[in-house]
Amino acid sequence: MRSYRRTTIRSTDRLRLGPGAKAMFNRCVAVALAGGVAAVAGSMYAQDSYRRFMLAYVTAFAFVLSLSLGGLFFVLIQHLTRAGWSVLVRRPAEILAANLGLTAVLFLPIAGAVAIGGGEVYPWAGGGAHAVAAKAAAEAQPVQAHEDGHALEAGAAQAGGHGKEGGHEERLAKKRAYLNPPFFLLRWVGYFALWGGLGYWYWRSSSKQDASGDHRLTVRMETLAGPALLLFGLTITFGAIDLLMSLDPHWYSTIFGVYYFAGSAVAVLAALIVIFAGLQRAGYLAQSITVEHYHDLGKMLFGFVFFWGYIAFSQYMLIWYANIPETTGWFRTRGATTVAADINGWTWVGLMLVIGNFVLPFVGLLSRHVKRYRPTLVFWAGWLLVMHYLDLLWLVMPEFGPQLTLGVVEIGVLAWVAGLYLAGAVYLAGKHDLAPSRDPRLPESLAFENM
Amino acid sequence: MTSMTEKSAGLSARVHVKVDNTSDDPRQREELILGDNNFSTITDRVTDLAFRRTPLAWYVAFAISLSLLGLLGVCVIYLLTTGVGVWGNNVPVAWAFDIVNFVFWVGIGHAGTLISAILFLFRQNWRTSINRFAEAMTIFAVMCAGLFPALHVGRPWLAYWLFPIPNQMAMWPQARSPLLWDVFAVSTYATVSMLFWYVGMIPDLATLRDRAKGRVAQVVYGLFALGWNGSSRCWHRFERAYLLLAALATPLVLSVHSVVSFDFAVAQLPGWHTTVFPPYFVAGAVFGGFAMVLTLAVPARQWFGLKEIITMRHLENMCKIMLGTGLIVAYAYGIEFFTAWYSGEHYEQFAFLNRATGPYAWAYGVMVFCNVCAPQLLWFKKCRTNIWVILFCAMCVNVGMWFERFVIIVTSLHRDFVPGSWGMYMPTWVDLGMLAGSFGLFFTLFLLFCRFLPMVAMAEVKTVMPAAHATHGPDRYDYQPDPDPVPPTLPKSH
Repeated sequence: MRSYRRTTIRSTDRLRLGPGAKAMFNRCVAVALAGGVAAVAGSMYAQDSYRRFMLAYVTAFAFVLSLSLGGLFFVLIQHLTRAGWSVLVRRPAEILAANLGLTAVLFLPIAGAVAIGGGEVYPWAGGGAHAVAAKAAAEAQPVQAHEDGHALEAGAAQAGGHGKEGGHEERLAKKRAYLNPPFFLLRWVGYFALWGGLGYWYWRSSSKQDASGDHRLTVRMETLAGPALLLFGLTITFGAIDLLMSLDPHWYSTIFGVYYFAGSAVAVLAALIVIFAGLQRAGYLAQSITVEHYHDLGKMLFGFVFFWGYIAFSQYMLIWYANIPETTGWFRTRGATTVAADINGWTWVGLMLVIGNFVLPFVGLLSRHVKRYRPTLVFWAGWLLVMHYLDLLWLVMPEFGPQLTLGVVEIGVLAWVAGLYLAGAVYLAGKHDLAPSRDPRLPESLAFENM
Repeated sequence: MTSMTEKSAGLSARVHVKVDNTSDDPRQREELILGDNNFSTITDRVTDLAFRRTPLAWYVAFAISLSLLGLLGVCVIYLLTTGVGVWGNNVPVAWAFDIVNFVFWVGIGHAGTLISAILFLFRQNWRTSINRFAEAMTIFAVMCAGLFPALHVGRPWLAYWLFPIPNQMAMWPQARSPLLWDVFAVSTYATVSMLFWYVGMIPDLATLRDRAKGRVAQVVYGLFALGWNGSSRCWHRFERAYLLLAALATPLVLSVHSVVSFDFAVAQLPGWHTTVFPPYFVAGAVFGGFAMVLTLAVPARQWFGLKEIITMRHLENMCKIMLGTGLIVAYAYGIEFFTAWYSGEHYEQFAFLNRATGPYAWAYGVMVFCNVCAPQLLWFKKCRTNIWVILFCAMCVNVGMWFERFVIIVTSLHRDFVPGSWGMYMPTWVDLGMLAGSFGLFFTLFLLFCRFLPMVAMAEVKTVMPAAHATHGPDRYDYQPDPDPVPPTLPKSH
């Protein structure tokens, strides 16, 4: 058996959040409160305030959900591959995954919006007439632009799902078996039962091991990882379809689940890098986590940035190339076009994503030196978190209208949801060690070197 | 044949210190190389394959492969002298066996690149035992693949028109066509794979050069060893080049089959136009590629006495990758069906219903059984460590992945929007002959490789053996359990 010089975390390394946790928790709650007040106040002055508030809420919820699901994915994949290097960086991902319980609570406003059946947020949730009216109001502007005598392409797209109210109704009716409030709510109960259960179980097993050091816990976690990942893949796909794709119930894309997954993976890796930089700055795990761990997280981040770009390109290019009105409408709403009449406020966000969520971080993270120098790595991680939010904003908010809406409502709601989410995460983090301190593969992670 | 099996059985009986290295006990990493092997026994075992008397089994296999290659030759000559009309494809099924075989063979190649590039970046050290012949397989598979589109253009002697070569007729290829992207994607892939394979082989070629007895062998191996002398400068440059090539080859694993999927997905044809095609094709390619690696690895380790180098753990790991990628493929089948229903579009729904229940339902059934049902056996460790079950699953996937391409291409084409233009497709004897013949080409090249080149990457295998890390001290992170961290004969200060 291989012997390692060091088999435990140095006693000088702070492993517990301790009294700092309380202050951090309070700060998160304060941010949440301030955000909530700002969001409510902001939406009072906004047009069509309920829809705007709720769509902003869906965006913020999709953001925190992607962190948790990304965390669950990270934990599962490490166990599935029996990874050794990642033991020291696994705990925060476990905490994000365990936080899925709180995320389920954060889902309640969306569940409520669907249950009362207004159809303002999810057009399929309301009675047919209501949904069509809301949709038509949202589309008033492009229709006018069309009347101004602009490009024929707009007309072609119009003839597809969007403008034609008769076909609209008829097609929605065909999907009723899937897109209806009771089944939607039932599915989300199922998703959260699975996600929350898995997240809690992995966090619980891993923290139990802190006390017992029982290697059989690792064996159990590794055994479950395969089936869990299978279920995860299915549920994140349908979760993404339900939460984001069905905002425009006519549009469909088989890659959509993968798209949301790719964004989640980028988000959680970026979040882990930021979290560790913060923890180490505050004096936690100062010696155990080394540049080598950052380097590996950076490599994975780089890989998933590329993966996101690949998936996003595949989706856009294939729909653009075939140019079938059934599927181009969604990109038209988002201004992803060169047709002058269809360029709207979201065009610039879309371009920003191409450059800011793919080209720049790809070039920026390419070098080994960037990934091994904490300030530059943390910069790109923070940058990518912002971009991930913009990506979700671009998926959701164009359903509100063609103007770019990123104001006090969106930012306030984000602060509110993310503040509560982080408060939950801090609460969980305070309960146990910040790293799996008696994992049987810990010595490998402590001695880990890339070069 | 019998003497061969007895001999290898005798070989493995000689040194079995430890047989089972498939344990997943988190307290201890398993050894990757079994038996009482050291650096020199590894070299002996691998170079012996190239130098000792050729076994009879090899000649038998070679004769079969060569006859199939002959069949390919006959078919190609008949095709060229008569025209592509000798194939069964015609409107409405204008693409059939030619493109099916092309996609099938390109896909096979992906496992090699994944093993050599991606698993290298992921520090999966078990790859060292299998990467060499998986890479060889890649290159031969790409050669088989290239054959079909080249013949499908009808006049292969004008195939250079596919490249944008300035010419007085001002005739340029259509840059908007994914078929042209294929030309670049596949040729880049072939070039980088070849380079990667060759660069990785240089130290081993030098070993063969040094051990060769005959003058011809010495000169030929020497020529290709590029003057390798094993100095640390050689090794330094080698490691650098290998890392860079791995990084360059990694996007190619994604790009080639993505571009192949674009051939279909950019079209407006229901069943072809679906956005999940690129990642789904990549997963399918890796899936099919690992099935082929297993198909080759299981007999090869048996016949060439490599059971201690390609151990059960290697086979088990490959099975796991096959299961994982197979599940991604199953996911894609499922999501395509769901989305076809969800879209509410009549033609989308019909295309998928027709696949599952139309006249080609049998092909769809074969595909689902082979790709979705059979690999589920691999969830169980008992199955992953039984070579007969492994071979069964691998064979199923080989067949299933061929049928997958058949289902996608033929069933989508044979019934499109207008029932008046529907039709059926039947392959001719030339179609079947060329499919069989492509296997002949593949196995002929592969057998030649097994006979004359180092089948296992000796230099790389040695790096994952405990002895390679003897002087690093206990704080060095390695993948190998180290029974004897600091042998007394070596200086401690490293």
